[in-house]
Amino acid sequence: MAITRDALPELTAVGARDDLRDRSLGRQLRRYGPIVIGVLMALTMVVVAAAAPLLAPLSPSAQYADAVLKGPGAQDRHVLGTDEFGRDVFSRIIWGARISLQVGLASVIFAFALGVPLGIVAGMQGGRVETAVMRCADMLMAFPTLLLALIIVTALGGSLVNEILAIGVALTPNFVRLARSLALTIREQDYILAARALGGGQLRIMARHVFPNALYALVVVATLYIATAIRTEAGLSFLGLGIPPPTPSWGNILSEGRQYIKCCPWITTFSGLAIMLAVLAFNLVGDALRDLLDPRLRGE
Amino acid sequence: MRVYVLRRLLGIVPTVLMITFVVFVMMRSVPGDPVVALLGDAYDEQDAIKVRASYGLDQPILVQYAIWLGKLARGDWGVSYMTGRPVLKDVLVRLPVTLELIVLSMAVALAIAVPAAIIGALRQNTWADYTATTIAMIGVSIPEFFIGVLLLLVFSIGLGGLLPSSGWTYLPGTCPTMVCGASLWGNAQHVLLPAIALGVGRAAILTRLLRASMLEVIRTEYVTTARAKGLSERPVVLKHALKNALIPTVTVMGLQVGFLIGGAIVVETLFAMPGLGTFGIDAIIARDYQQVQGFALLTALAFVVMNLVVDLTYTFLDPRIRYA
Repeated sequence: MAITRDALPELTAVGARDDLRDRSLGRQLRRYGPIVIGVLMALTMVVVAAAAPLLAPLSPSAQYADAVLKGPGAQDRHVLGTDEFGRDVFSRIIWGARISLQVGLASVIFAFALGVPLGIVAGMQGGRVETAVMRCADMLMAFPTLLLALIIVTALGGSLVNEILAIGVALTPNFVRLARSLALTIREQDYILAARALGGGQLRIMARHVFPNALYALVVVATLYIATAIRTEAGLSFLGLGIPPPTPSWGNILSEGRQYIKCCPWITTFSGLAIMLAVLAFNLVGDALRDLLDPRLRGE
Repeated sequence: MRVYVLRRLLGIVPTVLMITFVVFVMMRSVPGDPVVALLGDAYDEQDAIKVRASYGLDQPILVQYAIWLGKLARGDWGVSYMTGRPVLKDVLVRLPVTLELIVLSMAVALAIAVPAAIIGALRQNTWADYTATTIAMIGVSIPEFFIGVLLLLVFSIGLGGLLPSSGWTYLPGTCPTMVCGASLWGNAQHVLLPAIALGVGRAAILTRLLRASMLEVIRTEYVTTARAKGLSERPVVLKHALKNALIPTVTVMGLQVGFLIGGAIVVETLFAMPGLGTFGIDAIIARDYQQVQGFALLTALAFVVMNLVVDLTYTFLDPRIRYA
């Protein structure tokens, strides 16, 4: 079909519209793609952890004498192979998700619950209260998260609750600092002045105005710290100071598999991949949330 | 400037004292008695009392801390309960190994991050940019020990033992005993994999930060002016944009020292390196209070001094910044 001169503008317009739609689709993909992937990955992890008894094909502690250190697909029942005791690596990784996610989520909730009120009080009160809180936070921040968690977990002993406490305390100063800086900005806003003029007390202003307005930024950062907590838990278990065996955690599966890395690399590789995917999922969600909520980055 | 540095140096003292005090109290609340571990099978209650008294462990915690501080002021970091050697001597023997690891891992991080960030920023929203940012995101998410395991699988096991999987060869002149090996080549072989394992995660963080910073800087007026003057792209990017974009990156690099020390514990354990990381973890597990105190003191000092160095670096990177 010949294209007439009159038809050209219309075609050009259609082409431009398609181009715009493509660009818009590309932009939407760039904008929402990572968060969709991250949320899907994180949700999968949560579902796997919650449904571990249903999803794991074998018991994580069952030992199969006929399948010691066998590779993926061994005996038609060990999808990801077995470890030195003949335990199914796939089932252990599925059960290990429970520990990693429990520690990741609970330690961040602990750090949030402890750090945010302290930070808001420091930012709103100022003076000696602020100095005391911030000096303590600075002191804790002068320690690498892993090292601080390591010392606390050594003092308390390796267990799920102690690991949550140790990582929670190690992450707390980050929330204190962020909450304080947000409180410093929010306290200068007109609505705070209005709340004061209406006779609102300091505690009420902090709870009803400062906290809700700081919540978005805090939640974004909390998501990113879930990834840090999962890494730290894996690091502690890798060093032999996390949840003691035979309870499976990704870090201790990797640590135990290290001795057999030459003959049986699947133990370390699959458990390491599980850690990486979990950390990646929460990093993607946190990053994407931050980008979506930051007006400076929204137009990029 | 001199007054500022002096004030900051003085500010370090209370921070470091508080850290050492917290570690002192925490380590003494650890269940288990180091004297029991020290005496082992030869444990006898009378001997244990004598040993406790000789190390001052029978004193209240505050008195013990005061004694430790008093000795520290005289340059005495205490004596290890387990080895009987002075802690300072042990720390100084192991420090060069960890310093070398940290410096090289930072070099690895910069060698990857600077070109990746420049490409990402100059070709924003192209495949090159997406590749750089995606790899950086994955890099941020891989724990050091997993990168280390993958490197071991490829270079120590897969390629027929191309690089050693564990152990250490000292740099010539740094060997602490008469029996250890020292060679430049051997050292390079031993440090390469740990430095990459530790550096890749930092590279990812720096790439993301430097890319974002470069994107802001290349849109500033002075970069447009530099281009308008007819400067070629190379000096515009390297001299004008990169130098200014490095300012926030330097802050993060300074803060990364803390993470590098944490990462060094894991990487040194994985590669069986005789550095401060393995020293610290061994001391914590053995409940050797004196060694843990020495390790904590050094870690805290490294962190606060690095923060000061970062602040001072700003004046070099941005002459507009002046400290009174």
